[in-house]
Formats: sequence, structure tokens, C-alpha cells
Amino acid sequence: MASPATSGLKYLSNALATVEQLSNSSSAIDGVAPDLEASIRCAGAQLTQTAGILLRLSQDIIAQAIVTFTRFWIGPDGGSLRIHSVKDVSAAALYMTAKLSFQPTSPRSVLNVYTFLLSKEASPLWFVNPKGSPDKPIPETYHLTEGGYQAQRQVLLRTESIILRTLGFNTHVALPHTIALTYLQTLGVSSSDVAKRAFEHLNSALFSPQLLYLTHQPNALAVAAIYLAARERGVRLVDCDWWEVFDVDREDLGFLVVGMGSMEGFARAELENWKARGVPMTVDDLDGEIERRRMMQEGE
Amino acid sequence: MASKSRWATDDDPETEAILAQRKREKDEKRRAKAEKQRQLDEQQQARAQQESDPHPKKRRRLSNDHEQDPSITTTPTNNTSTTTHESTILPFPTQEWGPCRNVSNFERLNHIEEGSYGFVSRAKDITTGEIVALKKLKMDNSPDGFPVTGLREIQTLLEARHQNIIDLREVVMGDKLDEVYLVMPFLEHDLKTLLDDMSEPFLPSETKTILHQILSGLDFLHDQWIMHRDLKTSNLLLNNRGEVKIADFGMARYYGDPPPKLTQLVVTLWYRAPELLLGAEKYATEIDMWSIGCIFGELLTKEPLLQGKNEVEQVSKIFALTGPPTPQTWPDFRSLPNAKSLRLPPSSSASAGNPPLLPRGKFPFLTNAGLHMLSSLLALNPGARLSTKECLAHRYFREDPRPKPKEMFPTFPSKAGMEKRRRRETPEAPKRGQEAPKLDFASVFGGQGGGEAGEQGAGFTLRLG
Repeated sequence: MASPATSGLKYLSNALATVEQLSNSSSAIDGVAPDLEASIRCAGAQLTQTAGILLRLSQDIIAQAIVTFTRFWIGPDGGSLRIHSVKDVSAAALYMTAKLSFQPTSPRSVLNVYTFLLSKEASPLWFVNPKGSPDKPIPETYHLTEGGYQAQRQVLLRTESIILRTLGFNTHVALPHTIALTYLQTLGVSSSDVAKRAFEHLNSALFSPQLLYLTHQPNALAVAAIYLAARERGVRLVDCDWWEVFDVDREDLGFLVVGMGSMEGFARAELENWKARGVPMTVDDLDGEIERRRMMQEGE
Repeated sequence: MASKSRWATDDDPETEAILAQRKREKDEKRRAKAEKQRQLDEQQQARAQQESDPHPKKRRRLSNDHEQDPSITTTPTNNTSTTTHESTILPFPTQEWGPCRNVSNFERLNHIEEGSYGFVSRAKDITTGEIVALKKLKMDNSPDGFPVTGLREIQTLLEARHQNIIDLREVVMGDKLDEVYLVMPFLEHDLKTLLDDMSEPFLPSETKTILHQILSGLDFLHDQWIMHRDLKTSNLLLNNRGEVKIADFGMARYYGDPPPKLTQLVVTLWYRAPELLLGAEKYATEIDMWSIGCIFGELLTKEPLLQGKNEVEQVSKIFALTGPPTPQTWPDFRSLPNAKSLRLPPSSSASAGNPPLLPRGKFPFLTNAGLHMLSSLLALNPGARLSTKECLAHRYFREDPRPKPKEMFPTFPSKAGMEKRRRRETPEAPKRGQEAPKLDFASVFGGQGGGEAGEQGAGFTLRLG
């Protein structure tokens, strides 16, 4: 398929979602409203990020896991939130990505961390535990029993296989972070402040409801993050269409800059919408939420 | 001018684009500056041109023209220094993902072989009628879920697209989640079976063609940070068009710099490098190069070069061929775990050169250049071993007889296409999860059985403590 010349670029590029995959999803077919789906996907990505930090995985593994997690839900052939609990897919994506990396981790560590993060009493995550975590959570509230471990492990490993099947074993994820550093050097930007801000944009874009990592190549993400970071930090870049040197056209750059720039507002709105009851993390919670919405509609 | 050539298209725009990309990473600042200059030039002239020549738009997802040549040739309308603004934006390889198809899309014809990593059978794609090889992954029911070796095999194969590497077309699944099959093109032969059935070894020109192709494939792998870790003649496939492809990535994995923790239990014994046998905790692509040396020797003589029955005998056979290591040929040798207490005979036989040349008598029909390359592949010291690039540039490939063109390659009756299983006489690669064996190297020299025999003089011992 790819000619030898472009195959060298595979390392720096990703498989992207097709138009069909972006315009429909299994969850939508199963009656999950688009806004609800976006909220759950975003919360699931944040769950993956937090679990990765607690597992002491490096950010490149975590970011790859989030991209894999996001890909899983896309398109009519993707996974449905009514069938697979978002928490299980998050755990399995993280476990599988770590397995392929230089920092593998064990099912037990993964499940211990997820038990803690999903505890309605102890979790530090606002969308799981809207009350906020107590200073000293009681260990019993986030303890994983041996029986629980055995059952969860089965689910974890089964979900791993389902992810692989759904993605056709396409586990490759190229990230924009190192590319961004190279580009910053190229542009002669020495400010580490700009680099830091660009990384912040790249990391929050992982949670984007516009699925930026699934629609754009890493080089474009890197360029947009740099553009935005430099503007926010008041650092002047070269006075020309420098993004074209990095193979990004103005239209894509504009789209990505708006997308990344809107993350803060999106995150605020999510918090506002869900802070009272938390985001459903399991199939049962989701069914409950859909039922609640139905009753509200009928009540009107 | 500089700005012009940067974006202008050559006869092969893709290659040109790649070269530009690489070059960019090197002299970036210069480029950014030149770009600025170009912009200034352009501003003066752009307006008139822009009308006839709209800025090319490429929203990759929304158009179906990825395969088209996206670069527009810049043809200056006159001979003046007019430069038009033609930004050539490099197209990325377009890939998508989708769920695995079911194996029922294939009709299985016959088994080809059973390796350590699963069954391989010949099958027909029902929709296209194409004959393919279908390899069933072995799921070891491990407590860790999907076997990491299988995952790595798929991941490395999916990324290693090269004419000398087997092309993983897709992964299909059975009705159960643990039935996973790799779909690959069917090749008529593997080198091992072919060598077994030939009455005479390959001609020197044919040997060169084969070796050059293996090295090209491996060079690509190493460039992509992939180690194969199980190169041997039975994993090298040959079709009737003279094309060689590296197969069986069951042991392959990514490595890094600094190297990650790696298992020493890799590579089939006969092709295993001495540093692995001596317990090196860090190793890299040099272990593949040792295997290449063993394969080279096998192509020349038709017989596996170093057929040890176990690790100890393997080391002894290696040293018998190359001579024992000396502080000159392998300075770090002493620091290897299994070599610490090894006593070697006084190195009297040290032949000139570093690495020393292998005994000429063993390879009577090999030219001096060939013997030099073989000796440098079978250098005990991994640091002295040739890399793929050094091999590909070696004078052995440039001297007469030249590598035979692939099209001129003889064809052979296929074993794999018939209802017959391939013979498996080569030992298999070590299984994952095994413990590295405790090795008693006491009998490496002298051939006394058992470890207790009092060895003095020419013998050397290894105490493992």
C-alpha cells in the first residue's frame, strides 16, 4: 500500500478516523445522546490519565492509552457504551498500552488503582465522587477483595481482546510531544515557558470532544499547540507562514487552534453539568442516566 | 533559488518530500530564515499569480484524493527570477482502522508448518481467490492476558512495510476471542527446506542476492528500532520470483536508547550470539548480525554452521570456529556474567586482524572479501561486528560475481504448496517465560563430560556462583 518513501513516515503518523466513523457511533445507535457520549468519553479519558499517574506510567504511555481508548468508541463498528463500561475500557487500554511499552504493569496494580479511583467515597475524581475525597479516606472504601480481583481480572483481559479486535490490532499511536519540541527548536524558541504551555495544550487536547488526536496528524497538533502557546505567552515567532514548513495548512491550523482553545470552556461546562451527580462510569449507571433523562422528558 | 528547490517537485515527488523532511530536521534555522525571505519575495508577486493558482487545500479526511500526487509542479512562466508560492504540504500515509474480519472469509487448504508460535496453513481468500498464508497465534492462556509476544509480532509487522519483510495484510479472528490469525502472502519456500533439498549449494551470485535482500530487510527493521531476535534460515521465505522475505516476528520487539530490560532467552540456539550465551544483560541489534553470519555460512555450505546440542556445546563450537576470545578481540568479555571465572587456554593461535579471519579451509569457495565479511559478522565482540549498513556497503557485494538479478533466479518445486508438512529439524526459539538456564561451561574445551573432571592446561572452567 504505502510506498517505501512514505512508509518511513509511519513512525510519525497515525491512522485517522474516517468521515463515517466520525459521523456515527455504536453508542448513538444504542440510543446514547451525543452530548452524553462526549461527556462519558471525556471523563473516561480523564480517568485513564489519573490512573496512569497513580501507576507511575510515563505520559507517553498514558497519552497513547487515551488515544486507543478514544478510537475504541468511534464509528458504527466501534464499541458501545451500553455494552462496555467506560471504566473497563479505560483500564484495559492502559494495561495493554503499558504491556507493549518499556514499563509494563500488572493486572493487580491496574485493578487496585481503578478500584480506588472508582470508589464513590475515596476517589479524588470529581466526576466519580462529587463530594470530594476526604483527607484520609477509609481503606475499606477502596479495598479490592481477592474475589473481586479475580472477577475484575477476567473482565480486564476480555476487554483487552475486545479492544484489539475492534481496532483490528492497530495499536500504533504516534504522539505530537517530541515533534513539538523539535519544532520549537527549529523556530528558535528558547522559552521553556512556551514549551510547557504547548505540552499543556497537547495533554488537554487528549480529552477534546472534537477528538483532535483522531482527526489530525501529530505534526499538526504540535504546530497548533505551539501557535497557541506562543500567542498566550506573548512570544513572537517568525514572521511568515511557518506552519507550512511543518506541512500544516492554514485551515487545519485554524481548526486546531480553536479546538484547543475551547478546551477550558468545555471543561468548565462539564463540571457545571455533572458536579451534582457525577458522570456514569458503568453500563448500569449509564442506563440509569438514560432512564432519568427519559422521565424528565416525559414529565415536561 | 534555495527556496525554490525546496518545494519544487522532482520526478519522484514522494522521495523528494521525504528527503526534504529529513533535511529540515538538520538545518532548521536556516530553513526558517530562508522561508521568511521567500515570503517577502512572494508578497511582491503573489497577487497576480494567486488568481490563476489558488492555494492548494488539503483537508485529508474530506477528500478522496490522497493517492494523487499532491505536489504541483512549479513551472516558472518565464526565465526571470520569478518564484511562485507553491507550498507543497507533505502527505502522510493514510491509514485507517476497523474491526477484524472473521476467519470464515478464508478457506483453509493445507497445513504448512507448526512453529513455536502457532500453526501456519495455506488458505484461499474467498472473495478474491488469492492464496495466502494463515498463521494462528498461540494463546498461552497466560494470566497476563493477550500474549505480549503476539502483540509485538503484530505491531512490528504492521509497521515494518518493506519489500524484504513479510507483509502482514490483516489480522482476522475466529468466533472466540482467543482465535487470532495473521494473514500474510503465501511464499513457496523457506530457505531451510530449500537448502535441505538442494544437491548443491546456491551459486555465489545467488548467495549474494539472497544475503543482500535479507540485509536490506534487516536494515529497515533496525532503522525502525526493531530487533528481530530469531533470524534463521527457516524464518526466511523465498518465492519463485527470487524475492526473499523475513518472516516470523514472534520474538521481535522494539528497543530503545538506552536499551530497556530485555530477556536473554532469545534466538534459536544455533544462531544465538556469544554475548547472549554468556549472559549479557544488555544487548542490541548486534545479536541479529551474528545470526546473519550464521545464515551466511549456512548458505555457503548448505549446513547450519554451528549446531550445538545445548548452550555449553554451542559456546564450544563457536570458540572452535573463531578461536577463543582474547583481551584484544573482546575487551569486555570478562565482565559478562557467565564468563567471569572462565579460564581460557593461552591464546597462541591469535591470527592477525581484528576480528581475526575465520579459517579459510572451512569456506574454500569464498573470496577474500566474502571471508572478511563473514569473519566480521561472526566477530565474538559485538562491538566489532558489522552493522547492516556496513554489510550492504561491503565490497563483497560489488566484486564479481555480482548478485544475480532476482528475475534470473531459478525456481524450485514448492514443498509448502503440497500436502506435505515441512520438516522441522532446526531447534526452536526459546519459549517466553523460561528461566535462563544455569550453565556449566566446564566442558567447553577438552570435552570431558560432567563438571567435576579435573581440568587443567588447555581446559577452562566456568564457575557459577
